[in-house]
Formats: sequence, structure tokens, C-alpha cells
Amino acid sequence: MTTRNSGWAVVVTGLLTIVAIYFLVPVYWVVVAATKSSGDLFTTPGFWFGRTMRLWHNVAEVFTASDGIYLRWLLNSVIYAGVGALVATYLAAAGGYAIAKYDFPGRDLVFGTVLGGVLVPSTATALPLFLLFSKLGLTNTYWGVLLPAMVSPFGFYLCRIYAQATVDDSVLESGRLDGAGELRIFHSLVLRGMAPALVTVFLFQLVGIWNNFLLPLIMLADDKLYPITLGLNAWRSQVDRSPQFYELTIGGLLVSVIPLAVAMIFLQRYWRGGLTDGSVKG
Amino acid sequence: MTIGRRRLLGLGLGALGAAALAGCAPPGANPVNAEPTIPAAGPGEKITLTYWAWLKDLQKVADIWNARNPNVQVQAVFSLGGSNGGYQKMYSALAAGGGPDLAQVELRSVPEFMLVGGLVDLARYGAKQYRSRYDEAAWDQVTFNGGVFAIPQDTGPMAWYYQPEVLAKVGGQPPTTWDEWAALAQQLHQQDPTVYLEVFSVADASPFMAYAAQAGGKWFTPTENGWLVNLTDDATLATARFFDKAIDGGYVQTGYDPYSPGWTAAAGNGQIAALTGASWGDALVETIGTGKGKWRVAPMPKWPTGSGSTALGGSSTAILANSRHPQEALDFAVWLTTSPEAIDALIKYCGIGWSPSRDYIGAQRQQPSEFFSGQNYNTDIFVPAAKQQPKDWHWGPITQRTLNALSDNFRRKITAGQSLVDSLHLTQKTTVDTMRQIGLTVLEAK
Amino acid sequence: MTTTLERTAVRTNAPQRHRRKLLGAPWILLAPFLALFALTVLVPVILAVVQSFTHINRAGLFGEQGVTGGFAGFANYVEALTDSNFLGAIGRVLLFGVVQVPVMTVFATALALLLESASARWPAFFRAAYFLPYGIPGVIATILWSFLYVPGLSPIIDVGRLVGLDIDFLGPNSVLWSIANIVTWTYTGYNMLVIVAQLKSIPSEIYEAAKVDGASPLRIAASIQLPLIRPALILSVVFSIIGTLQLFVEPLVLRTVAPAIVTEYTPNLSAYNNAFAYNDYGVASAEAVIIAIAAFVLSFGFLAWTNRRGRS
Repeated sequence: MTTRNSGWAVVVTGLLTIVAIYFLVPVYWVVVAATKSSGDLFTTPGFWFGRTMRLWHNVAEVFTASDGIYLRWLLNSVIYAGVGALVATYLAAAGGYAIAKYDFPGRDLVFGTVLGGVLVPSTATALPLFLLFSKLGLTNTYWGVLLPAMVSPFGFYLCRIYAQATVDDSVLESGRLDGAGELRIFHSLVLRGMAPALVTVFLFQLVGIWNNFLLPLIMLADDKLYPITLGLNAWRSQVDRSPQFYELTIGGLLVSVIPLAVAMIFLQRYWRGGLTDGSVKG
Repeated sequence: MTIGRRRLLGLGLGALGAAALAGCAPPGANPVNAEPTIPAAGPGEKITLTYWAWLKDLQKVADIWNARNPNVQVQAVFSLGGSNGGYQKMYSALAAGGGPDLAQVELRSVPEFMLVGGLVDLARYGAKQYRSRYDEAAWDQVTFNGGVFAIPQDTGPMAWYYQPEVLAKVGGQPPTTWDEWAALAQQLHQQDPTVYLEVFSVADASPFMAYAAQAGGKWFTPTENGWLVNLTDDATLATARFFDKAIDGGYVQTGYDPYSPGWTAAAGNGQIAALTGASWGDALVETIGTGKGKWRVAPMPKWPTGSGSTALGGSSTAILANSRHPQEALDFAVWLTTSPEAIDALIKYCGIGWSPSRDYIGAQRQQPSEFFSGQNYNTDIFVPAAKQQPKDWHWGPITQRTLNALSDNFRRKITAGQSLVDSLHLTQKTTVDTMRQIGLTVLEAK
Repeated sequence: MTTTLERTAVRTNAPQRHRRKLLGAPWILLAPFLALFALTVLVPVILAVVQSFTHINRAGLFGEQGVTGGFAGFANYVEALTDSNFLGAIGRVLLFGVVQVPVMTVFATALALLLESASARWPAFFRAAYFLPYGIPGVIATILWSFLYVPGLSPIIDVGRLVGLDIDFLGPNSVLWSIANIVTWTYTGYNMLVIVAQLKSIPSEIYEAAKVDGASPLRIAASIQLPLIRPALILSVVFSIIGTLQLFVEPLVLRTVAPAIVTEYTPNLSAYNNAFAYNDYGVASAEAVIIAIAAFVLSFGFLAWTNRRGRS
């Protein structure tokens, strides 16, 4: 970084600023809109505040509507995405490590099958999964959404690559010579070494779960089990019936978007390393 | 990897597949109406019924019942509008062996629910004794094979809303026949090209279906040997030709649908003079900000054959197959739809459509309306209209798909110039093919 | 010494014990994953395939006289592939992919290059701003943008009117691109970050050498950076292809405000409606299988094409 051509700097920074406006406009809008009453929403200009400042009132409404169902939805999202991704990461790590570091009959078949699973779109499996789970009595329960969330074929693939590249055979051997069981070796030696890949898999699965709308849509009928995505969608679909739902939906959007945005800002470094670490080569 | 293991794997997968095939009971096999009836709850037994509906504030109406029936409590749960996702949720709940006790099912969707065995035959619980309380046409629409599969909840008799001032520009009067309607539309549009008599929806074929029914069309007729499907009978084709002419002649507005923001604005400006609409349209017409005192209601125009009026929309209260308390649910459904206090509450809180009860239309509907120029339009226009509904109109088992196909085809009138008549022939073929594809027996009229 | 003897004794017994342990261990580690994988991926896939070959017969008007399932051969597939709505949906999604994926990839690449160039100020702020939409689930992003598309609420339409533009985001010709906008808004930042990661791994000696040779920033971008970020680009495109074929959430949520979105707007919507609105599970499964195969073929095809190009 020797000379800085200030002319270029202005142009580039200007372009970047325009692009930033595009990305930030909806966030800005939701902040402004959440301060308005439904009447103001339609009558005052969208990009500036209305006649009254009702932010606290709207946010309070969001949390008290329908006996606090919004908090329930948030909690559900945390459960589905958090617990699901955590377990998925653990299982993928165990499986990926096993495939990478052990030689056993059937290994290639297993790996091939799981790899095929990566390319199967989740929407293709949602319907038969629903029929299967309804026979097992798992629909409309937490498990109906959690069980599929705990499986990450792509995580399995990533862990295998990572384990193959970074777990040293000699470390395993010395562990065995010390008399440690295979599971102990895995938990105490291997997992720690695979940490960067585990973070990647966790985040990947986390985003995948909370973006998955079809599965909870067909699995869940009781709105107490809804994740926040289904909940907000239910509120949104009632706006024609009852304009009060505009305030609720927009308030609900604000309460969910702001923390997510802040979280993303702090978590972005985990994606910067991530997927390309030792995985895809040329 | 030895051969043995590979074969084992293959066998395993094959066994899984066979189990899957066997385990996949085809939908529609719900045997609830073949099983013994569920006895009523004992005295002192407390039960809760759930009711999935998209009526706003239904719980307030349910609470009236709840106050009087401490042992049978009804909980209203908001569900999305049927074709907006509500039915999907009901079907998946049924398929999963669960679901609510009661559900709001549009009259036209009752056969579709029957196709998956989703409705309890209420005749087995004594529903027939209530027949005389209900409007005949509505009751016919929930009766099949001698059983009663839902309780009518609201209907939508149609009439003609209009703005006398706009018509006065050409000295027009409410038309009594559709031919007069066409002449008036042409007059109005010629005098001022920005003004139209009415809109015609090419995105939603339901109004057209209502007009065809009024003309005497019968699209679906259940017979002993299967379904008779005819979307192209004389009455329907004549209706289609009539509206083809209107669109080609440019004297109906096809740019937006009734009640849409565009329509509301145009009607408010006097650029839409009238609307052939159902009784529930009154609340939507009243949203026109500047319309107070400028609207009146007249009977709808008639065809040379057929009935005086027709219906658009209408729902029922159905009792779903997995309910454990069908008897109590039936009692609630009958109370909800025929008792004066429930009907008044439904109108007050939920803005419900026309009451299917033969005797009572609701206290609020017996008053003259300020918005409609002081006219007592419910008693004067809609009561007679409700008595002139088409006889023998039946909904088919795939009404939603037929409507979707018809609407898709109608859209091509604007984009590709395909006539409404051709659209009907195409939809006839699609409907028959689809019904056969889902395993039903279809007879076609030649 | 006894210890040496003991150790030898341990070593001679150990290999057998170890081998047995080693044979069992991987399966123990694999078992939970495989069990869940079988339950939630394998069995449903098999079920979907089986169901796509079944067909229902209903006796009586509604099947009240008996409902039986039977083998249907390819009838469901034929019906899916001759349904003009389903074909239209496939065409629509292909059109979407052919436009949106390159546009988003170019956009993400351009942003990555700009951010990593010497002339960018405050790169950390911009990176954060571009990336944050990725954290917003598709449903919520669509609800958010739907408010920005609906006339009456949308400040964008109001601003447009001020300058004389009458924008209709939800009309039959524009709603597909409004959806494309939501997808681009959500995923560009993520793709950009992946490319940035790859850019950062280019050793600085290469840049130094290029500077010595007097290469302009544009030349550096074209000859050095672009080729070296190829793997990241390929990954990004493959995921985008798979995502595009599965387009479901955005049209479903927008349907309530955009009547232009028909019931079979995308292949996934069609499969969903066939299953849950029409209760026609056979055709729905056939459509799901067709979508899965298409995703497979397109991803493999793309990877094969880039491999071949890479070698030449």
C-alpha cells in the first residue's frame, strides 16, 4: 500500500457508499416505520418519521401480543437453530473424523451416499419426511423440526476434509499407546484440533436451519411451536383483516432484524476464513 | 467391500422400499364415517373444542357460547384464509392425525375435503333435524350421498351496487337484464371514455362462475356412475360469449379487480359506476372514502334463462375427521349459524357474510343504511335475492384446481387474445383429465 | 527389566485388541450421524421416489366406496412434464438463474475487488454493511421488502413518483425481478466475503511483482486476482444454482401482496401445492424428484465444465 491516489479513493469510496445505501435502506426503513402508528404508515413519507413517536408502544405491543407469543417464537428459533446446529456439528465431526482417519470396509460407500445427500434439495425431502413423521407421531412437535436439523451432510463432508488435512496420525497413535479409548481420543484430542472447521459447520448449519421455511411450515400446526419466521409470516398475513397487524409485524421485524444485524457484524470474521480453508482447491 | 455386503445393502433398500409402499396409505382412506359414532360427553365432563377460522374476532362470539356452556368451551384459532394457506394447514393436520374439531371451509371446498375423507358425516349425529332452519340452496351444497358434511355458515347472494349520479350522466337506470347492462355500459363509456360501468376480473374466475350458475349452467353433477363434468354447456358458453363481446368492445374495465386499491380509487372518482357484488361487498364498498350517500343497491341483472340471483362465496362450519367430540361440535355449529344472538354477534364482530338461517338475517341488517342513501337494502334487495338462488348447482371435487386453471386461461384473454369460450373448452379438458388422474370416474356430456 | 518385557508383552497382544477396537470405533462414531441421516434423508428420498410411481383409484364420488393405491409407472412424471404450468415454472426459474446468478456473482466480485483495493476507505464498515443482510432469514427479508414494494406503503414508489417514475414492483412482468432483488440483497454480501477470503490468501509478493512490472489496478484484477479466486467463485455459483432451483420462500410470502404470483410460480411451489392444496401426493413427489435431479445435473454439469476449462 504505497501511494494512495486520492482521486481514485473518492470514486471508489463513493461507489461503495451508494452500494451501502442499497444494503442498508430496508434496515433504515424498518427502524423509521417501527416508530409510526398504522395510520401514519400510510400517510407520512416512508423515509422519515411520522407525526407521533410510538416506538416504545409498538415494541411493547409486540412483546405482549397474544400472551407474549413473540418471545415464544424467538425462543423456538433459538432452540431449533442453536440446538440443531450444535448437535449437527458434533455428529458431523464424529462422522467426518471416522471416515477420514479409519480404514474400514464400507467406508467409501458411506461417504458416497452422504455426499449424494449434499445435493438433495431439502424441499424434495420435506413432503415424504412429513408423511413419515406423521406415521411416527412426530409432526407438530419440536422433534419434527429438530431431528432433520441435526443432520448436515455438507458438514460431514467439510469435517472429513479438515480431519484428513489436519489431524495427525502420530497424535492418534500416541494416544492409543497411552491406553486411551477411541472415543476419548476423539473427544479430548481431535475435537479441539478441528475447532475452525467446527465453527464453520456450526454457522453454516445455523443459517441453513433458520432459513428453512418449508419444513416448519408443514410440520407445525400449533403456533406455540413456530419459529420466528413462521410467526412473523402469520402476523403479516393478517394485515388485511386488522390494520393493527401492520404495527405488530413491523415492530416484530425490528426486534428480530436489529439483533441479527448486530450479530452478523460481529460474527463476520468466521466466514472470512471458513469454507475455503483447505477445502476446495483449484 | 464384499459382494455379500453389497447384496445385503440392496436387499435392505428393497425391503425399505416395499415397506414404504405398503406404509403409504393413500390419502382419502380416512375411515371416520365407517367407524361407530363417538358418543356425546358425559354430564360434568369438561371439553374444549378448537375452531380454525379466518373470521376476525371470532373468539368474542365463541365467548357468548362459553359463558352459557361451562362444560363445552370453544376456542377460536385464527387460520389463514383457505386458499391462502389455511386449507394447506388443515390438510396437513388431518394427514398427521390431528387437527381442530371445527374448521371454516368455504362451501365450494367441501367436496375437496371429502375427497381426503376429512369431514365427519353429521347426519349420523342428527344434523338432518336442523334442515328446515337453513336456506335450501346452501343446505344442498353440503349434502352428498345422503349425508350432511358441513353446516352452512354464511352465503353471498348477489345484487347490483351502483352510483345513481354516474348513471344519471346518460340518464341510465339499473338494468333488469344483462342485455340492458351491456347497452348501458356502452352508452356510459362512449359518453366518457374514462368511465366504465363495471370491472371484469380476468385474474379471478369466481364471479364468472357465479354468472354462469345464474344462467343455469351446471358444471358438476354427481350421479350414480360418477361425476358429470360440463363447463361448456349452453348457458355457460352464452355467458362467456357475452363477456367476450364486452371485453372486445372495450366497455368493461379489466385492469384491476373489484375492491382492489385501484378499484377503490376509481370508484371514488366516479370512474367506475357500479359493481355486481355479493352481500358482503357492502363493507368493502363502504371503504370508499368519498362514497357516503352516493351508492344504492338494486337487484342484479338477469339472463333470459336461469335464476334471479346467484351467489359468490360462502362458507360453512365443518367438523373435521379427527375430532373427538363431533356431537358437541355440531351443537355449537348449529347455535353459531342459526341463533339470533350468535348471528348478531357474528355481524358485529366478524363482519360475516349473509346468514344462511331461513328466518333471521341479523338485527343490524334490518336498518336502513346511511351510506347507501338511506336504503334498507338488506331487507329490500338481499332477502329476495337469497330466495332466488340457482337450484342444483354443485361444487366439484377439485373446485380450486378448476378455478385456478380457468383463471390462468382467462388471463390469456388479455395477454394473448384467447377467447373466454376457448378458455372454457381448455379448462374442461384439464378438469376431466385431472379428475381421472386422481382416480375418479368422470362422465362427459357430449 | 520387567518393564521392557511387559511392554513387549503388551505390544504383542495390543495389535489384536486394537484392531478389534479400530474396527468397531468408526461405526460407533458414525452411528448417530448415519441413523439420523437415514431417517431424515435416505428414507424420505426413497419414499419420494416410491410415491412418485404410485397412483390412486377412488370408487364412488369421493372414494367413499374404497380408495386403493397402485403402481402408476411413469404416469405422474408424464403428467408433471406435460403440465404447462410446471414447465412454465421451470422456465421461469431457469430464466431467473441465468440472469440473477451471474449478476450477483459479478456484483459480489466487483465489491470484493473494490473493498480489497488500495483506494477503499473504511473497508471494515462497508464489509459489515454488505454482509449483514445474510443474517436475516429469507422469510423476514421478504416480508421486509414486501413493505417496500406495496404501493401506499413503499417510500421507494413515492420517491419514484416525485421524479415522474411510476414503478410497479409486483406486476406480472416485474415481480420475478423483485424477487431477484431480494435474493441478491440477501446473498451478495456472503458471496463477497467468500471471495474476499480467497483474495486475502493471495501472497503479497505477487502484488509486488506486478507493481514492479507497472501493472495498473485493472490489469492486476483481470490477470491475477480473477484467476486466483476461481475456486471461490465456482463454489458460490454452484450453491447459487442449487438455491435458485429451490426458490420457494420468496414467492410464497409475496403471494399475499402480488396476485401476479400464480400457484405454480416456481417448481417447488408447484410441488408444495400439489401435495398440500390438491392432496395429489404422486404428482408432487414426481415434481420433487424432477427438481432434485435437475439440481444434481446442473451442479455436476457446471463443475465439469469449469474443470475442463481449468485444464485448458
